[in-house]
Amino acid sequence: MPTIVDIAVNTEGFSTLVAAVQAAGLVEALQSPGPFTVFAPNDAAFAKLPPGTVQTLVQNPPQLGRILKFHVVAGKHTKDDLIKLGTVDSLEGAPIPIHSPIEDEAFEVKNATVLAADIEADNGIIHVLDTVMLMG
Amino acid sequence: MPTLTQPQTLIPPSTHPHADVVHRLEAGGSMLPDTPENLMQIIGIYKAYAVPMDFYWRDLLYIAERVFLNPIPAFKYFLPQEYLDLPNHYAGDTADLRIWRGEATAHPELLEFMEKGELKRKLPKLFHHLWHDRVNMEFAEACMRAMLWHQDMGGRFNDYLYTEEYKAACDRAIRAYFKGNPAMLGLHKLFPEMFYEKCRELSYYSNLGLFWEVMAPVFFEMSDIYDEGGFAGVPDAMNFLVNGIFAVAGRPIYHHVYVGDECFELIPKSCGFTWLYEAALPYVEAVFYRTAPFRGTKSYNAQAGQVPQDQNDFHYGILYADVFPVGSAGIPPTLLMQDMLHFLPPYLLEYYQQHCRGEDDMLIQLGITFQRSMYNVTSAVIQALRAALLYPLDDQNPRHLMANRQFFEAQMDRFVRPEARLRDVQRQEYR
Repeated sequence: MPTIVDIAVNTEGFSTLVAAVQAAGLVEALQSPGPFTVFAPNDAAFAKLPPGTVQTLVQNPPQLGRILKFHVVAGKHTKDDLIKLGTVDSLEGAPIPIHSPIEDEAFEVKNATVLAADIEADNGIIHVLDTVMLMG
Repeated sequence: MPTLTQPQTLIPPSTHPHADVVHRLEAGGSMLPDTPENLMQIIGIYKAYAVPMDFYWRDLLYIAERVFLNPIPAFKYFLPQEYLDLPNHYAGDTADLRIWRGEATAHPELLEFMEKGELKRKLPKLFHHLWHDRVNMEFAEACMRAMLWHQDMGGRFNDYLYTEEYKAACDRAIRAYFKGNPAMLGLHKLFPEMFYEKCRELSYYSNLGLFWEVMAPVFFEMSDIYDEGGFAGVPDAMNFLVNGIFAVAGRPIYHHVYVGDECFELIPKSCGFTWLYEAALPYVEAVFYRTAPFRGTKSYNAQAGQVPQDQNDFHYGILYADVFPVGSAGIPPTLLMQDMLHFLPPYLLEYYQQHCRGEDDMLIQLGITFQRSMYNVTSAVIQALRAALLYPLDDQNPRHLMANRQFFEAQMDRFVRPEARLRDVQRQEYR
């Protein structure tokens, strides 16, 4: 089975995330056995950030790495696991609140909507987000 | 041209005491009403603030990086040429991200003032200093001390200052700085916490210097855009700040010390500390909201509970200030007003002359303008946090809009106390 990184590289719409992971030097970490749960913002999510935001982060790998680590959780958590947990701790250290879907509403993680959940990888699981999450 | 979006009607109106302001924020506005007079005032004062700020950030970094532990820092306000020429990372051709289209080195109006001062005479630097005809760097230090004193305001910066890693880095820098000085090294051995604590203060110098390095070009650019007719209203000015906050959010916050040619990284960039979390948000909290009562403005009886028990409840910042008594000598905000007075754009100078007591109470008038402008900066911070942590203003999900509402109302709760000036800045005749 492909790794989290392999899936991101080979799926259309994740080029900004892949470039950011490379700039932050996190490729190797995300190819390690893990397992990890990755909340992956798509290109449209990054495009919603005001101009200059991504540029400044890419210029500063440790700071970029911190934002990216906020999107990674240790362990393999499916959508159902996450809903049961209610909150998970990111590798950045800050917690990520998980909202239980109300009726037929979409599954939401913090202020992001999950566009596709439970994409299985060799070393974890991916949930695709429509928004880049920020700590706080 | 309208600059506000139509207010949404998917949720019922707010019943908050500041409901009018909550609704304005929900429509993409600022806490400051959108009037041409407000726009003119806040932009004018941003420009007047940016010039001394260009000195503050350079000198804060100079003190943090070079003056360091000098036991008698008599010349810490004498900025060497190297720091006047230090290229701003957000202005000029060499910028990491060009915010201001102007130059990266010290602003020409600042250089002119440093040379001639209020006296408009070219005299030795020491004379200008002793005559106090200079930039009031004491104001910048008062802001730094507010951040140091309030400390735990989110972010990871303060926690790091108490780690073994930080102490070990300080230790190396202290030993290098006092090399060949047995008296100071002896003191360090006897009272090891003393110099660490001084280093922590110096780390806050660096933190604030790096914060203001960004704000100076932001304010210069806003002034230029306004002069070109580029802002249609107060919300445009606020949105420029919101975009600026995002654009530089990831700027590293660090503290490097130079002893001779050697650089000691007390807080390396690799810590991952960011401009938004470790500098901007703690700054707004410490300086705009909290600070501490200023000596000489009013007597407080702490035993009678006139000063809050909890530091979180301190409310002596610009958003609560009664600017009239603060307009007296020696008080930090007055020092800033005096600094801004030297660089007012002509339109603001003319405006003050038409109101109140004209030139005689200009410091008070510009202090009120500054208060208005900081309500706008705080609005930008509130909108940026809403954008980062919550939902777009035009979101169609009522649950999301309610979450935004609760956030805005929680922010407005801080202005319910009688000292808050939010109601005052709604009126144009408040000067």
